[in-house]
Amino acid sequence: MRAFDYIAPDSTESVVAALAAHSPNARLLGGGTDLIVDLKHTSNTPKVLVDVSQVEDFHGIEMTDRGLRIGSMVTHTEIMKSEIIQKELPAMVDAAHTVGAVQTRNLGTLGGNLVTCVPSMDSGPTLLALDALVTIAGPKGSRQITLEEFFVGPRKTCLEPDEVLVDIIIPKENVGKPTHFLKFGLRKGQALALVNAAASFHVGDGNIFSAPRIALGAVAPVVMRATKAEDFLAGKEITEANMAEAGEIAVTEIKPITDFRASKEYRRELVAVFTRRCLAGAYALHQSRA
Amino acid sequence: MTDVTLTVNGKERSASVPPETTLLEMLRSKLNLTGAKLGCDVGDCGACTVLVAGKSVNACLMLAVQANGRDVLTIEGLATAEAFHPLQKTFEELASLQCGFCGPGIILSAKTLLDENPDPTVQEIKDALAGNLCRCTGYTKILEGVVDAARIMNGKQDAA
Ligand SMILES: Cc1cc2nc3c(=O)[nH]c(=O)nc-3n(C[C@H](O)[C@H](O)[C@H](O)COP(=O)(O)OP(=O)(O)OC[C@H]3O[C@@H](n4cnc5c(N)ncnc54)[C@H](O)[C@@H]3O)c2cc1C
Repeated sequence: MRAFDYIAPDSTESVVAALAAHSPNARLLGGGTDLIVDLKHTSNTPKVLVDVSQVEDFHGIEMTDRGLRIGSMVTHTEIMKSEIIQKELPAMVDAAHTVGAVQTRNLGTLGGNLVTCVPSMDSGPTLLALDALVTIAGPKGSRQITLEEFFVGPRKTCLEPDEVLVDIIIPKENVGKPTHFLKFGLRKGQALALVNAAASFHVGDGNIFSAPRIALGAVAPVVMRATKAEDFLAGKEITEANMAEAGEIAVTEIKPITDFRASKEYRRELVAVFTRRCLAGAYALHQSRA
Repeated sequence: MTDVTLTVNGKERSASVPPETTLLEMLRSKLNLTGAKLGCDVGDCGACTVLVAGKSVNACLMLAVQANGRDVLTIEGLATAEAFHPLQKTFEELASLQCGFCGPGIILSAKTLLDENPDPTVQEIKDALAGNLCRCTGYTKILEGVVDAARIMNGKQDAA
Protein backbone atom coordinates (compact mmCIF):
# COMPACT_ATOMS: atom_id res chain seq x y z
CA MET A 1 0.00 0.00 0.00
CA ARG A 2 1.10 3.56 -0.64
CA ALA A 3 1.68 5.91 2.25
CA PHE A 4 -1.20 7.69 3.97
CA ASP A 5 -1.81 9.42 7.28
CA TYR A 6 -4.10 7.79 9.78
CA ILE A 7 -6.41 9.43 12.30
CA ALA A 8 -9.01 7.86 14.54
CA PRO A 9 -11.48 10.44 15.84
CA ASP A 10 -13.79 9.40 18.67
CA SER A 11 -16.99 11.36 17.98
CA THR A 12 -19.29 12.16 15.06
CA GLU A 13 -18.34 15.85 15.33
CA SER A 14 -14.63 15.13 15.10
CA VAL A 15 -15.19 12.84 12.08
CA VAL A 16 -17.12 15.61 10.34
CA ALA A 17 -14.40 18.12 11.27
CA ALA A 18 -11.69 15.78 9.94
CA LEU A 19 -13.59 15.38 6.67
CA ALA A 20 -14.08 19.13 6.37
CA ALA A 21 -10.34 19.56 6.81
CA HIS A 22 -9.21 16.78 4.46
CA SER A 23 -11.89 15.85 1.91
CA PRO A 24 -11.71 15.03 -0.94
CA ASN A 25 -8.30 13.61 -0.02
CA ALA A 26 -9.64 11.55 2.87
CA ARG A 27 -11.37 8.17 3.00
CA LEU A 28 -13.29 6.70 5.88
CA LEU A 29 -12.12 3.36 7.23
CA GLY A 30 -14.48 0.92 8.93
CA GLY A 31 -13.50 -2.73 9.14
CA GLY A 32 -11.34 -2.28 6.04
CA THR A 33 -12.48 -5.49 4.33
CA ASP A 34 -13.40 -3.54 1.19
CA LEU A 35 -11.19 -0.49 1.50
CA ILE A 36 -7.87 -2.12 2.42
CA VAL A 37 -8.31 -4.61 -0.44
CA ASP A 38 -8.89 -1.64 -2.78
CA LEU A 39 -5.92 0.32 -1.46
CA LYS A 40 -3.62 -2.60 -2.20
CA HIS A 41 -4.59 -2.45 -5.86
CA THR A 42 -4.86 1.24 -6.65
CA SER A 43 -2.44 4.06 -7.14
CA ASN A 44 -5.23 6.46 -6.24
CA THR A 45 -4.46 6.45 -2.53
CA PRO A 46 -6.10 9.00 -0.22
CA LYS A 47 -3.81 11.26 1.80
CA VAL A 48 -5.64 10.52 5.04
CA LEU A 49 -7.55 7.53 6.34
CA VAL A 50 -10.11 8.49 8.93
CA ASP A 51 -10.79 5.40 11.02
CA VAL A 52 -14.39 5.64 12.19
CA SER A 53 -14.56 2.17 13.72
CA GLN A 54 -13.91 3.50 17.24
CA VAL A 55 -16.60 6.21 17.23
CA GLU A 56 -19.04 5.26 19.96
CA ASP A 57 -22.05 6.88 18.21
CA PHE A 58 -21.55 4.41 15.34
CA HIS A 59 -21.90 1.34 17.55
CA GLY A 60 -24.75 -0.41 19.31
CA ILE A 61 -28.01 -2.11 18.41
CA GLU A 62 -31.03 -0.86 20.35
CA MET A 63 -34.74 -0.08 20.22
CA THR A 64 -35.51 3.65 20.17
CA ASP A 65 -38.91 5.33 19.79
CA ARG A 66 -38.35 5.47 16.03
CA GLY A 67 -37.40 1.84 15.66
CA LEU A 68 -34.44 -0.47 15.78
CA ARG A 69 -31.22 1.53 15.55
CA ILE A 70 -28.09 -0.22 14.29
CA GLY A 71 -24.82 1.72 14.35
CA SER A 72 -22.99 1.89 11.03
CA MET A 73 -19.90 0.25 12.57
CA VAL A 74 -21.78 -2.78 13.89
CA THR A 75 -20.09 -5.87 12.45
CA HIS A 76 -21.84 -8.72 10.68
CA THR A 77 -20.85 -10.94 13.62
CA GLU A 78 -22.52 -8.56 16.07
CA ILE A 79 -25.71 -8.65 13.99
CA MET A 80 -25.67 -12.46 14.09
CA LYS A 81 -25.25 -12.42 17.87
CA SER A 82 -27.81 -9.72 18.65
CA GLU A 83 -30.69 -11.19 20.64
CA ILE A 84 -33.19 -8.60 19.49
CA ILE A 85 -32.31 -9.18 15.83
CA GLN A 86 -32.40 -12.97 16.27
CA LYS A 87 -35.89 -12.67 17.73
CA GLU A 88 -37.45 -9.92 15.63
CA LEU A 89 -35.61 -10.04 12.31
CA PRO A 90 -33.94 -13.42 11.81
CA ALA A 91 -33.62 -12.65 8.08
CA MET A 92 -30.94 -10.11 9.02
CA VAL A 93 -29.04 -12.83 10.86
CA ASP A 94 -29.26 -15.06 7.79
CA ALA A 95 -28.05 -12.27 5.53
CA ALA A 96 -25.13 -11.39 7.84
CA HIS A 97 -24.20 -15.07 8.03
CA THR A 98 -23.71 -15.25 4.25
CA VAL A 99 -21.14 -12.43 4.18
CA GLY A 100 -17.70 -13.91 3.51
CA ALA A 101 -16.44 -16.09 6.35
CA VAL A 102 -15.96 -15.64 10.10
CA GLN A 103 -12.86 -13.43 9.74
CA THR A 104 -14.61 -11.11 7.27
CA ARG A 105 -17.70 -10.88 9.46
CA ASN A 106 -15.62 -10.07 12.55
CA LEU A 107 -14.14 -7.00 10.84
CA GLY A 108 -16.69 -6.08 8.16
CA THR A 109 -19.46 -3.70 9.14
CA LEU A 110 -23.03 -3.08 8.05
CA GLY A 111 -22.21 0.53 7.18
CA GLY A 112 -19.17 -0.45 5.11
CA ASN A 113 -21.28 -2.95 3.20
CA LEU A 114 -23.93 -0.34 2.34
CA VAL A 115 -21.42 2.39 1.42
CA THR A 116 -19.42 0.11 -0.87
CA CYS A 117 -22.73 -0.35 -2.66
CA VAL A 118 -21.95 -3.23 -4.97
CA PRO A 119 -25.10 -4.74 -6.53
CA SER A 120 -24.42 -8.08 -4.82
CA MET A 121 -24.14 -6.66 -1.26
CA ASP A 122 -25.75 -9.12 1.11
CA SER A 123 -27.19 -6.71 3.65
CA GLY A 124 -29.07 -4.64 1.06
CA PRO A 125 -32.12 -6.74 0.17
CA THR A 126 -33.34 -7.40 3.72
CA LEU A 127 -32.92 -3.77 4.75
CA LEU A 128 -34.72 -2.52 1.62
CA ALA A 129 -37.53 -4.98 2.30
CA LEU A 130 -37.85 -3.44 5.78
CA ASP A 131 -37.98 0.20 4.51
CA ALA A 132 -34.78 0.98 6.39
CA LEU A 133 -33.66 4.58 6.89
CA VAL A 134 -30.12 5.85 7.20
CA THR A 135 -28.77 8.76 9.23
CA ILE A 136 -26.02 10.80 7.60
CA ALA A 137 -23.92 13.44 9.35
CA GLY A 138 -22.08 16.24 7.59
CA PRO A 139 -21.06 19.87 7.90
CA LYS A 140 -24.69 21.02 7.72
CA GLY A 141 -25.83 18.71 10.51
CA SER A 142 -27.51 15.39 10.17
CA ARG A 143 -30.18 14.18 7.78
CA GLN A 144 -32.22 11.04 7.44
CA ILE A 145 -33.17 9.43 4.13
CA THR A 146 -34.47 6.08 2.96
CA LEU A 147 -31.96 3.39 2.09
CA GLU A 148 -33.52 3.33 -1.37
CA GLU A 149 -32.52 6.98 -1.89
CA PHE A 150 -29.08 6.23 -0.43
CA PHE A 151 -28.22 3.74 -3.21
CA VAL A 152 -27.42 5.68 -6.38
CA GLY A 153 -25.50 3.33 -8.66
CA PRO A 154 -22.89 0.58 -8.69
CA ARG A 155 -20.34 1.62 -6.04
CA LYS A 156 -22.12 4.95 -5.67
CA THR A 157 -24.23 6.27 -2.82
CA CYS A 158 -25.62 9.74 -2.26
CA LEU A 159 -22.98 10.44 0.43
CA GLU A 160 -21.00 13.61 -0.22
CA PRO A 161 -17.23 13.39 0.33
CA ASP A 162 -17.63 15.33 3.60
CA GLU A 163 -20.42 13.13 4.98
CA VAL A 164 -20.45 10.01 7.13
CA LEU A 165 -23.03 7.27 7.68
CA VAL A 166 -24.05 7.21 11.34
CA ASP A 167 -26.68 4.52 11.68
CA ILE A 168 -29.39 2.44 10.06
CA ILE A 169 -32.93 2.46 11.39
CA ILE A 170 -35.62 -0.16 10.88
CA PRO A 171 -38.91 1.69 11.42
CA LYS A 172 -40.80 0.57 14.50
CA GLU A 173 -43.74 -0.93 12.59
CA ASN A 174 -41.32 -3.22 10.71
CA VAL A 175 -39.44 -4.57 13.72
CA GLY A 176 -40.80 -8.11 13.82
CA LYS A 177 -42.28 -7.95 10.31
CA PRO A 178 -42.07 -11.46 8.81
CA THR A 179 -39.09 -11.35 6.44
CA HIS A 180 -36.99 -13.93 4.65
CA PHE A 181 -33.59 -13.68 2.93
CA LEU A 182 -31.97 -16.01 0.41
CA LYS A 183 -28.63 -15.91 -1.38
CA PHE A 184 -27.32 -18.06 -4.17
CA GLY A 185 -23.56 -18.26 -4.66
CA LEU A 186 -21.33 -20.63 -6.58
CA ARG A 187 -20.20 -22.25 -3.32
CA LYS A 188 -21.76 -22.56 0.11
CA GLY A 189 -18.95 -20.67 1.83
CA GLN A 190 -17.37 -17.32 1.04
CA ALA A 191 -18.98 -16.63 -2.32
CA LEU A 192 -20.55 -13.48 -3.70
CA ALA A 193 -24.20 -13.65 -4.68
CA LEU A 194 -25.32 -14.53 -8.20
CA VAL A 195 -28.65 -13.35 -6.89
CA ASN A 196 -29.82 -12.48 -3.41
CA ALA A 197 -33.33 -11.59 -2.39
CA ALA A 198 -35.57 -10.71 0.51
CA ALA A 199 -39.31 -10.47 0.97
CA SER A 200 -41.42 -9.18 3.81
CA PHE A 201 -45.10 -8.59 4.49
CA HIS A 202 -47.55 -8.31 7.32
CA VAL A 203 -50.38 -10.81 7.36
CA GLY A 204 -53.57 -8.75 7.08
CA ASP A 205 -57.10 -9.67 8.18
CA GLY A 206 -58.51 -12.39 5.93
CA ASN A 207 -55.00 -13.78 5.37
CA ILE A 208 -53.95 -11.15 2.85
CA PHE A 209 -50.58 -9.65 1.94
CA SER A 210 -50.26 -6.32 3.70
CA ALA A 211 -47.34 -3.94 2.94
CA PRO A 212 -45.53 -6.56 0.83
CA ARG A 213 -41.91 -5.79 -0.08
CA ILE A 214 -39.64 -7.64 -2.47
CA ALA A 215 -35.98 -6.61 -2.79
CA LEU A 216 -33.47 -8.13 -5.19
CA GLY A 217 -29.69 -7.93 -5.45
CA ALA A 218 -27.14 -8.56 -8.23
CA VAL A 219 -29.78 -8.20 -10.95
CA ALA A 220 -29.62 -4.43 -11.57
CA PRO A 221 -27.05 -1.63 -11.08
CA VAL A 222 -28.16 -1.33 -7.45
CA VAL A 223 -30.17 -3.45 -5.06
CA MET A 224 -33.76 -2.82 -6.13
CA ARG A 225 -37.38 -3.22 -5.08
CA ALA A 226 -39.71 -5.18 -7.37
CA THR A 227 -42.56 -2.71 -6.97
CA LYS A 228 -44.83 -4.18 -9.65
CA ALA A 229 -44.71 -7.53 -7.94
CA GLU A 230 -45.38 -5.80 -4.61
CA ASP A 231 -48.38 -3.94 -6.06
CA PHE A 232 -49.72 -7.19 -7.47
CA LEU A 233 -49.57 -8.83 -4.04
CA ALA A 234 -50.95 -5.99 -1.93
CA GLY A 235 -54.38 -6.95 -0.61
CA LYS A 236 -54.38 -10.38 -2.29
CA GLU A 237 -54.88 -13.63 -0.46
CA ILE A 238 -51.70 -15.37 0.70
CA THR A 239 -51.52 -18.38 -1.61
CA GLU A 240 -48.71 -20.27 -3.28
CA ALA A 241 -50.10 -19.30 -6.67
CA ASN A 242 -49.92 -15.60 -5.83
CA MET A 243 -46.37 -16.00 -4.54
CA ALA A 244 -45.37 -17.72 -7.80
CA GLU A 245 -47.11 -15.03 -9.86
CA ALA A 246 -45.22 -12.32 -7.95
CA GLY A 247 -42.01 -14.13 -8.86
CA GLU A 248 -42.90 -14.03 -12.56
CA ILE A 249 -43.71 -10.32 -12.34
CA ALA A 250 -40.45 -9.58 -10.50
CA VAL A 251 -38.54 -11.11 -13.42
CA THR A 252 -39.99 -8.42 -15.74
CA GLU A 253 -38.62 -5.67 -13.49
CA ILE A 254 -34.96 -6.68 -13.23
CA LYS A 255 -32.07 -5.76 -15.52
CA PRO A 256 -29.61 -8.61 -15.05
CA ILE A 257 -26.32 -8.84 -16.90
CA THR A 258 -24.26 -11.81 -18.01
CA ASP A 259 -20.88 -11.98 -16.28
CA PHE A 260 -18.36 -14.63 -15.32
CA ARG A 261 -20.58 -15.80 -12.43
CA ALA A 262 -23.83 -16.37 -14.33
CA SER A 263 -25.83 -15.55 -17.43
CA LYS A 264 -28.72 -13.10 -17.34
CA GLU A 265 -31.10 -15.92 -18.24
CA TYR A 266 -29.98 -17.90 -15.22
CA ARG A 267 -30.38 -14.86 -12.99
CA ARG A 268 -33.96 -14.45 -14.27
CA GLU A 269 -34.75 -18.04 -13.31
CA LEU A 270 -33.25 -17.48 -9.88
CA VAL A 271 -35.33 -14.35 -9.32
CA ALA A 272 -38.60 -16.12 -10.09
CA VAL A 273 -37.76 -18.95 -7.71
CA PHE A 274 -36.21 -16.82 -4.95
CA THR A 275 -39.06 -14.32 -4.90
CA ARG A 276 -41.53 -17.15 -4.40
CA ARG A 277 -39.35 -18.87 -1.78
CA CYS A 278 -38.67 -15.66 0.13
CA LEU A 279 -42.40 -14.95 0.31
CA ALA A 280 -43.03 -18.52 1.43
CA GLY A 281 -40.24 -18.24 4.01
CA ALA A 282 -41.67 -15.04 5.45
CA TYR A 283 -45.08 -16.68 5.72
CA ALA A 284 -43.58 -19.74 7.40
CA LEU A 285 -41.95 -17.45 9.97
CA HIS A 286 -45.30 -15.77 10.62
CA GLN A 287 -46.97 -19.14 11.13
CA SER A 288 -44.22 -20.44 13.40
CA ARG A 289 -44.69 -17.42 15.65
CA ALA A 290 -48.49 -17.62 15.80
CA MET B 1 5.48 6.76 11.69
CA THR B 2 3.03 5.56 14.31
CA ASP B 3 3.87 3.82 17.54
CA VAL B 4 1.91 0.63 17.94
CA THR B 5 1.85 -1.36 21.16
CA LEU B 6 0.19 -4.73 21.24
CA THR B 7 -0.07 -7.46 23.81
CA VAL B 8 1.09 -10.35 21.66
CA ASN B 9 0.77 -13.81 23.14
CA GLY B 10 0.65 -12.27 26.60
CA LYS B 11 3.69 -10.01 26.19
CA GLU B 12 3.71 -6.30 25.48
CA ARG B 13 5.41 -5.60 22.14
CA SER B 14 5.92 -2.22 20.48
CA ALA B 15 7.11 -1.01 17.12
CA SER B 16 7.17 2.21 15.20
CA VAL B 17 5.61 1.61 11.79
CA PRO B 18 4.24 3.65 8.87
CA PRO B 19 0.43 3.89 9.17
CA GLU B 20 -0.14 1.78 6.06
CA THR B 21 1.55 -1.22 7.71
CA THR B 22 -0.81 -4.15 8.09
CA LEU B 23 -0.96 -6.12 11.32
CA LEU B 24 0.45 -9.06 9.37
CA GLU B 25 3.48 -7.05 8.22
CA MET B 26 4.12 -5.84 11.75
CA LEU B 27 3.90 -9.33 13.23
CA ARG B 28 6.15 -10.88 10.60
CA SER B 29 8.70 -8.15 9.91
CA LYS B 30 8.89 -6.20 13.17
CA LEU B 31 8.12 -8.83 15.78
CA ASN B 32 9.58 -11.84 13.96
CA LEU B 33 6.42 -13.85 14.41
CA THR B 34 6.21 -15.65 11.10
CA GLY B 35 3.54 -18.20 12.00
CA ALA B 36 0.80 -16.13 10.35
CA LYS B 37 1.40 -16.39 6.61
CA LEU B 38 0.99 -14.00 3.70
CA GLY B 39 -1.18 -15.90 1.22
CA CYS B 40 -3.65 -14.09 -1.02
CA ASP B 41 -3.26 -10.70 0.69
CA VAL B 42 -6.95 -9.88 0.09
CA GLY B 43 -8.79 -11.70 2.86
CA ASP B 44 -9.81 -14.81 0.94
CA CYS B 45 -7.39 -17.54 2.04
CA GLY B 46 -7.16 -17.13 5.82
CA ALA B 47 -3.44 -18.04 6.04
CA CYS B 48 -2.87 -14.79 7.97
CA THR B 49 -5.60 -15.47 10.56
CA VAL B 50 -4.78 -14.25 14.07
CA LEU B 51 -7.02 -13.45 17.02
CA VAL B 52 -7.46 -9.83 18.02
CA ALA B 53 -9.29 -9.36 21.32
CA GLY B 54 -10.31 -13.02 20.99
CA LYS B 55 -11.84 -12.68 17.51
CA SER B 56 -10.35 -14.15 14.37
CA VAL B 57 -9.36 -11.62 11.73
CA ASN B 58 -7.39 -11.59 8.52
CA ALA B 59 -4.23 -9.79 9.63
CA CYS B 60 -3.59 -8.79 6.00
CA LEU B 61 -6.72 -6.58 6.04
CA MET B 62 -6.20 -4.93 9.40
CA LEU B 63 -3.83 -2.04 9.89
CA ALA B 64 -1.38 -2.54 12.74
CA VAL B 65 -2.51 0.77 14.27
CA GLN B 66 -6.09 -0.52 14.37
CA ALA B 67 -4.92 -3.24 16.74
CA ASN B 68 -3.09 -0.73 18.96
CA GLY B 69 -3.61 -1.48 22.66
CA ARG B 70 -5.29 -4.82 22.03
CA ASP B 71 -4.55 -8.45 22.75
CA VAL B 72 -3.26 -10.44 19.79
CA LEU B 73 -2.88 -14.20 19.77
CA THR B 74 -0.79 -15.82 17.06
CA ILE B 75 -0.05 -19.50 16.58
CA GLU B 76 3.24 -19.02 18.45
CA GLY B 77 1.26 -18.28 21.61
CA LEU B 78 -1.04 -21.28 21.53
CA ALA B 79 1.12 -24.00 23.07
CA THR B 80 2.37 -23.66 26.63
CA ALA B 81 5.84 -24.70 27.77
CA GLU B 82 4.25 -27.88 29.09
CA ALA B 83 1.96 -28.94 26.30
CA PHE B 84 0.53 -28.43 22.85
CA HIS B 85 -3.01 -27.17 22.53
CA PRO B 86 -5.33 -30.17 21.92
CA LEU B 87 -5.81 -28.99 18.33
CA GLN B 88 -2.06 -29.05 17.74
CA LYS B 89 -1.91 -32.50 19.28
CA THR B 90 -4.71 -34.02 17.20
CA PHE B 91 -3.51 -32.30 14.02
CA GLU B 92 -0.09 -33.85 14.55
CA GLU B 93 -1.45 -37.29 15.40
CA LEU B 94 -3.79 -37.40 12.42
CA ALA B 95 -1.39 -35.69 10.01
CA SER B 96 -4.18 -33.22 9.37
CA LEU B 97 -1.83 -30.92 7.48
CA GLN B 98 0.48 -31.57 4.57
CA CYS B 99 2.52 -28.56 3.50
CA GLY B 100 1.33 -26.73 6.62
CA PHE B 101 1.02 -23.25 5.14
CA CYS B 102 -2.65 -22.94 6.07
CA GLY B 103 -2.17 -24.60 9.47
CA PRO B 104 -1.66 -21.60 11.78
CA GLY B 105 -4.81 -19.99 10.41
CA ILE B 106 -6.86 -23.16 10.46
CA ILE B 107 -5.87 -23.99 14.02
CA LEU B 108 -6.66 -20.48 15.28
CA SER B 109 -10.04 -20.45 13.52
CA ALA B 110 -10.80 -23.85 15.03
CA LYS B 111 -9.70 -22.62 18.45
CA THR B 112 -12.16 -19.69 18.43
CA LEU B 113 -14.89 -22.08 17.36
CA LEU B 114 -14.19 -24.50 20.21
CA ASP B 115 -13.91 -21.66 22.73
CA GLU B 116 -17.43 -20.54 21.82
CA ASN B 117 -18.99 -23.86 20.92
CA PRO B 118 -17.29 -26.79 22.68
CA ASP B 119 -19.31 -29.46 20.89
CA PRO B 120 -19.76 -28.36 17.27
CA THR B 121 -21.41 -30.37 14.50
CA VAL B 122 -19.39 -31.10 11.38
CA GLN B 123 -21.48 -28.49 9.56
CA GLU B 124 -20.60 -25.91 12.21
CA ILE B 125 -16.91 -26.78 11.86
CA LYS B 126 -17.11 -26.32 8.10
CA ASP B 127 -18.82 -22.98 8.56
CA ALA B 128 -16.16 -21.87 11.05
CA LEU B 129 -13.35 -22.85 8.65
CA ALA B 130 -14.94 -21.45 5.47
CA GLY B 131 -12.43 -18.60 5.49
CA ASN B 132 -9.38 -20.89 5.63
CA LEU B 133 -8.37 -22.50 2.39
CA CYS B 134 -6.21 -25.63 2.26
CA ARG B 135 -4.96 -26.72 -1.15
CA CYS B 136 -3.33 -30.00 -0.04
CA THR B 137 -5.57 -32.08 2.12
CA GLY B 138 -9.16 -31.98 0.94
CA TYR B 139 -10.03 -31.04 4.53
CA THR B 140 -11.07 -34.51 5.75
CA LYS B 141 -8.26 -34.91 8.27
CA ILE B 142 -8.65 -31.30 9.33
CA LEU B 143 -12.30 -31.87 10.21
CA GLU B 144 -11.36 -35.06 12.08
CA GLY B 145 -8.66 -33.17 13.96
CA VAL B 146 -11.15 -30.58 15.16
CA VAL B 147 -13.68 -33.24 16.17
CA ASP B 148 -11.03 -35.14 18.15
CA ALA B 149 -9.73 -31.98 19.80
CA ALA B 150 -13.25 -31.09 20.90
CA ARG B 151 -13.54 -34.55 22.42
CA ILE B 152 -10.27 -34.13 24.33
CA MET B 153 -11.24 -30.68 25.53
CA ASN B 154 -14.57 -32.02 26.76
CA GLY B 155 -12.72 -34.73 28.68
CA LYS B 156 -14.20 -37.51 26.58
CA GLN B 157 -11.13 -38.88 24.82
CA ASP B 158 -11.27 -42.24 26.52
CA ALA B 159 -14.81 -42.90 25.38
CA ALA B 160 -13.70 -42.72 21.75
C1 LIG C 1 -12.90 -12.37 1.60
C2 LIG C 1 -14.05 -11.42 1.51
C3 LIG C 1 -15.32 -11.91 1.32
C4 LIG C 1 -16.41 -11.03 1.23
N1 LIG C 1 -17.63 -11.57 1.06
C5 LIG C 1 -18.71 -10.74 0.99
C6 LIG C 1 -20.02 -11.30 0.83
O1 LIG C 1 -20.22 -12.50 0.75
N2 LIG C 1 -21.07 -10.43 0.76
C7 LIG C 1 -20.89 -9.07 0.84
O2 LIG C 1 -21.89 -8.36 0.77
N3 LIG C 1 -19.67 -8.52 1.00
C8 LIG C 1 -18.58 -9.32 1.07
N4 LIG C 1 -17.32 -8.79 1.23
C9 LIG C 1 -17.17 -7.33 1.23
C10 LIG C 1 -17.04 -6.66 2.62
O3 LIG C 1 -16.56 -7.56 3.59
C11 LIG C 1 -18.35 -6.07 3.14
O4 LIG C 1 -18.87 -5.17 2.19
C12 LIG C 1 -18.16 -5.35 4.48
O5 LIG C 1 -19.39 -5.20 5.10
C13 LIG C 1 -17.50 -4.00 4.34
O6 LIG C 1 -17.45 -3.37 5.62
P1 LIG C 1 -16.10 -2.74 6.20
O7 LIG C 1 -16.42 -2.19 7.52
O8 LIG C 1 -15.01 -3.72 6.13
O9 LIG C 1 -15.87 -1.57 5.14
P2 LIG C 1 -14.56 -0.73 4.80
O10 LIG C 1 -13.70 -1.49 3.88
O11 LIG C 1 -13.96 -0.18 6.03
O12 LIG C 1 -15.26 0.46 4.01
C14 LIG C 1 -16.00 0.24 2.83
C15 LIG C 1 -16.39 1.57 2.22
O13 LIG C 1 -17.28 2.27 3.06
C16 LIG C 1 -16.73 3.53 3.44
N5 LIG C 1 -17.16 3.71 4.83
C17 LIG C 1 -16.88 2.89 5.88
N6 LIG C 1 -17.53 3.31 6.97
C18 LIG C 1 -18.23 4.41 6.62
C19 LIG C 1 -19.11 5.29 7.32
N7 LIG C 1 -19.42 5.13 8.61
N8 LIG C 1 -19.65 6.35 6.63
C20 LIG C 1 -19.37 6.50 5.31
N9 LIG C 1 -18.56 5.71 4.61
C21 LIG C 1 -17.99 4.67 5.26
C22 LIG C 1 -15.26 3.41 3.20
O14 LIG C 1 -14.67 4.68 2.93
C23 LIG C 1 -15.21 2.51 2.00
O15 LIG C 1 -15.47 3.24 0.83
C24 LIG C 1 -16.21 -9.63 1.33
C25 LIG C 1 -14.91 -9.14 1.54
C26 LIG C 1 -13.84 -10.01 1.64
C27 LIG C 1 -12.48 -9.46 1.86
